[in-house]
Amino acid sequence: MSSPMEHQNVSLASTSVRHMGPVNWRGLWTLYMKEVRRFLNVFTQTLLAPMVTTLLFLAIFSLALGGGGRQVGGVDFAVFLAPGLIMMAMVQNSFANTSSSLVIAKVQGNIVDILMPPLSAAELTLGIAAGGMTRGLMVGLAVGLGMLFFVPLQIHAPLFILFHAVMASLMLALLGMIGGIWSEKFDHIAAVTNFVITPFSFLSGTFYSIERLPPVWQTVAHFNPFFYMIDGFRYGFIGHADGSLTIGLAVMALFNLFLWTVAHRMFATGYRLKP
Amino acid sequence: MSGPHTVAPQTVASKALLSFRAWRPPSYRRFNGRGFWTHYYHRGVLRFFRFGLELLVGPLVSSLLFVMVFAVAQNERAAMVPGIDLIQFIVPGIILYGIAHTAFENAAAMLVFEKMEGMITDVQMAPLSPLELLAGYALSSATCGLSVGLLVGGAAAIFVDFSSFDASLVLGFAVATALFFGLLGTVVGLWAERWDHYSAVEGFVVVPLGLLSGTFFSIERLPEAFREWIFYNPVFYAIDGFRAGLIGHAESSHSVGFAVLGGLILGLALLGWRLFAVGYKIKP
Repeated sequence: MSSPMEHQNVSLASTSVRHMGPVNWRGLWTLYMKEVRRFLNVFTQTLLAPMVTTLLFLAIFSLALGGGGRQVGGVDFAVFLAPGLIMMAMVQNSFANTSSSLVIAKVQGNIVDILMPPLSAAELTLGIAAGGMTRGLMVGLAVGLGMLFFVPLQIHAPLFILFHAVMASLMLALLGMIGGIWSEKFDHIAAVTNFVITPFSFLSGTFYSIERLPPVWQTVAHFNPFFYMIDGFRYGFIGHADGSLTIGLAVMALFNLFLWTVAHRMFATGYRLKP
Repeated sequence: MSGPHTVAPQTVASKALLSFRAWRPPSYRRFNGRGFWTHYYHRGVLRFFRFGLELLVGPLVSSLLFVMVFAVAQNERAAMVPGIDLIQFIVPGIILYGIAHTAFENAAAMLVFEKMEGMITDVQMAPLSPLELLAGYALSSATCGLSVGLLVGGAAAIFVDFSSFDASLVLGFAVATALFFGLLGTVVGLWAERWDHYSAVEGFVVVPLGLLSGTFFSIERLPEAFREWIFYNPVFYAIDGFRAGLIGHAESSHSVGFAVLGGLILGLALLGWRLFAVGYKIKP
């Protein structure tokens, strides 16, 4: 049995600076898996509970608003509603994952564990955002599969579904990161969730076609990225969109690019992260 | 290792410790009024209002969001109940859901937080009897739930017609719901060891009970097979009675509702009292 001293000598002698190349792949993977394991560890809370709640929403909204063979956008109300609800669940969970991860780490002080390792700002942004996206997409998949038991969902344009699912999860994961870095207390992030994310995910066309809105609000909706992601995602299922699909693709891509730059800049400058 | 000599003093010591916990100076009499008030008001109610923005305004915003969504998306072809506006029909349920959810969340989250942080000893060390402990948690959460209900109800009264207002029904069902969920939250908070235990009960019991209770639809809308199941949901009676008090439309009997809720409150109160008395999951 070697004494601790000997062991230390041996390991020190064999230690050399490890060259990582332009990307620290192992560090990035470790950060990503840390983010994924964090929510999988409590999957009843992070996957099953959102699934149950969303299915309940489907039940109550189609019971309350669907009667009388009602059609919206050329399909049954439940078929119209289902994509919107899947999107709402994805959006709320991507946001919750990155924001809670960062706020908890900041409040408890273990944020240093991700700031100290040799990870660049780009790797931090990518690792944490990918963790949030993974949760959003997994919740979306779980909700979608659950809904198949109750609603005859059809797939009209699979690429639109995939693009908008990925872009929406990424957008909310980035927003969650920006919100999480900005927040200094749980109150702050709870306020962002209650007063920004929930209203946007509720009022941007999840439950209704925006044709029902007063003209002023219809114009406002065309400047709202949440509207384009719900509309484009729903188009992938039912083949009917309220707004322009091309503009939707561009808005999602550009807005994500903008958010990515902001999040990257926050990590690079250490805004509210480093003293 | 332990002979009779070592066992006997230990037993005496633990008995002394137990009786010490139950003992308190005779000057407290039967009811430790100041201790109860500190526990109820300063720890429970003031803590809630200190976080006023998100704990009061959060439920208000989400309630109003539900109302807005229903207002925009409502179905002109099939009225929910003939002669009653859809918004008028759902608003009472939304108010009561706010009361129920806040009361549950407040009690359960407070207990889980205190247990996880080890602060539960602050309450256990104080000269409070098990009944005073239970009452402090349950009543403060019920108070917080009712204040959310008052806020949401006040906001709703601006644009919804509550012409057939019946104070006794409204107050009775609001208070019964707040008490029921305050007690349920206390018992769940004692049982839960981690946050995901708490959120499992919230996600799989409280939210389904609240949403599948006739808040958003008349039972006539339910498929035949589910229609009788709703009568097993205590929240259905609460919402139905509360709605009857506000807009005068009822689908079940008030006395059955009061009996169901009263029985459940009594049962949960006895359970919670017993759990505090034996120190379930809070005493080593």
